[in-house]
Amino acid sequence: MDLIISLTVNGLATGMLIFLLAAGLTLIFGLMSVLNFAHGGLFIWGAYTGVWSFQMTGSFIVGIIVAIITGLLLGLVTERLIIRPVYGNHIQQILITLGFMLVLQEFIKVVFGPDQKAVFPPEILQGSFLVGDIVLIKYRLFIIAVGLLIFIVSSFILKRTRVGLIVRAGVMNKEMVQSLGINIKLVFMLVFMVGAGLAALSGIMHAVYSGVIYAEMGLEFSILAFIVVVIGGMGSFSGSLFAAILVGLAQAFMAYYVPALSLAVNMLLMTVVLIFRPQGLFGKE
Amino acid sequence: MNIRRMEKSTWIFIIISLLLFIVPFIVTGRSMQFTIIQIFIFAIFAMSYDILLGFTGIISFGHVMFFGIGAYSTAVIMDRMDATVMSFFVAILIAVFIAVIVSFIVGVLTLRLKSHFYAMLTLALAGLFLVAAEKWRSLTGGNDGFTFRLPEILRDSHNLYMLCLVSLLLFFFGLRRFTKSPFGRVLMAIRENEARTESLGYKVLHYKVIASVVAGVVASIAGVLYALSLRFVNTGVFATDLTIDVLLMTIIGGVGTLVGPILGAGLVEFAHHWLSGLSDVHWIFDRWIILYGTVYILVVIFFPLGIVGTIQSKLTNRPVKGLQDNRKAVGK
Repeated sequence: MDLIISLTVNGLATGMLIFLLAAGLTLIFGLMSVLNFAHGGLFIWGAYTGVWSFQMTGSFIVGIIVAIITGLLLGLVTERLIIRPVYGNHIQQILITLGFMLVLQEFIKVVFGPDQKAVFPPEILQGSFLVGDIVLIKYRLFIIAVGLLIFIVSSFILKRTRVGLIVRAGVMNKEMVQSLGINIKLVFMLVFMVGAGLAALSGIMHAVYSGVIYAEMGLEFSILAFIVVVIGGMGSFSGSLFAAILVGLAQAFMAYYVPALSLAVNMLLMTVVLIFRPQGLFGKE
Repeated sequence: MNIRRMEKSTWIFIIISLLLFIVPFIVTGRSMQFTIIQIFIFAIFAMSYDILLGFTGIISFGHVMFFGIGAYSTAVIMDRMDATVMSFFVAILIAVFIAVIVSFIVGVLTLRLKSHFYAMLTLALAGLFLVAAEKWRSLTGGNDGFTFRLPEILRDSHNLYMLCLVSLLLFFFGLRRFTKSPFGRVLMAIRENEARTESLGYKVLHYKVIASVVAGVVASIAGVLYALSLRFVNTGVFATDLTIDVLLMTIIGGVGTLVGPILGAGLVEFAHHWLSGLSDVHWIFDRWIILYGTVYILVVIFFPLGIVGTIQSKLTNRPVKGLQDNRKAVGK
């Protein structure tokens, strides 16, 4: 029983991390219909700059803030230079963002060096609580809290505020919103930046969680983010939360019970979902 | 007029092919010959990708699985059987056989999906092959891979050069004929407008599946040659990086042209060879992928037809038309 609980907590923490990553992509794909394979690039840039400033200043909060700012700025640049010429053309989006992904990943090596880097969690989040016989690692609880917070805040903004209303209306009918005097281009740019910021936040959180970062993580996590978004249904926010937790739990349990399959579990999940329900678990037809 | 121009271009290709037969007598450096052999192999691989991307308009992120199937079939057969030419032919037959079966199953299962779902699913399937190759240690030797012996005649780099060149030419002229056949025209119609092709009475799915089988078999042969040229195989032949490489070669050279991918393969392999050689001069050349990625992005934005496609459309005065996502237009 203890084992199952601690595996579940592990799975939830991993799932929340993946959710942060996939949430950005869901925003970008679901709202703007942009297939952004450079998402993992934003993720590693968040991880590296966040870790760098965390180690420089010794403050994890500064690390998180720097990571998010990097994500927002990179998001701005990406949207302007890479995405704008190819709005509405999925094939070109896939091709061009994949190229940009490679460039982002290589630039990491130029700026921070090609080697792996070790990362240690801040003191306040090191160690664990003991509840009965169950060990709860503090940092994992922290991740779960942040993930839930982001989910609640972004759902609230999308569903209950004027900004969310504009964004959702823009998705349904861009021209109409434009003709009502709202600068939809600007709105989309901001949405893209927020998505990129979420990717970067996920980067720094994941860096501390896994304890090591390297440039090739970029492509891996681009793919992981897409797997989750595809499983959850493109554009569904609660779908990607569900799928991320599913993937996280599957990884945690597989790694313990069937280690040989743990590498393939994401791919297997996505294959099954795509074959039987191509629109994703929560997607609309 | 059209026939004449076609004949002229065929003549040009034949002359260039004949010139290529002389090259190994001029370029005798081993490493240079090896680079050229690699170019031929990747040119074959890139042409097979062009059948999918350029002629049928589908993006696969898992094309490397066929390449890997070819490479592993060869390696395993040559390792288990005697190092004779006979077992090499057996290896080719098995590589083709497995590639046909896998590409058929994958095609039937996945080609109904929309473009980006198809891309993701092929990526996942290739990932499964990679994991299988890593875990099935008794057959594949895991991540470290294994070396194997070749028959005497294939060990000579001169003979290997000729073998790869002949395969390249066979596939080039064969696929060129294939794409100009009525069947190839239907594929192009699917690329241009899938719904219209369907309403004209063509079974789009059948055509797509056959295209993916053809592409799979050609890629598998490229994998066979690749294993042959290295006399070694490891899980790298299933790596996503290879799919991305071949995608970039096809795009930079020119999609839907067949010559383009060959040129793209040449450029990319040469750039790789030459720029990594320069890394002694300055460390920035170690990061040549930055340059490569930037060129690729610029090509996608400004020359969506690639090098060959752009030149062709200049010569024939046809309007430039890049890769369009026709499915989306249909959906609305």
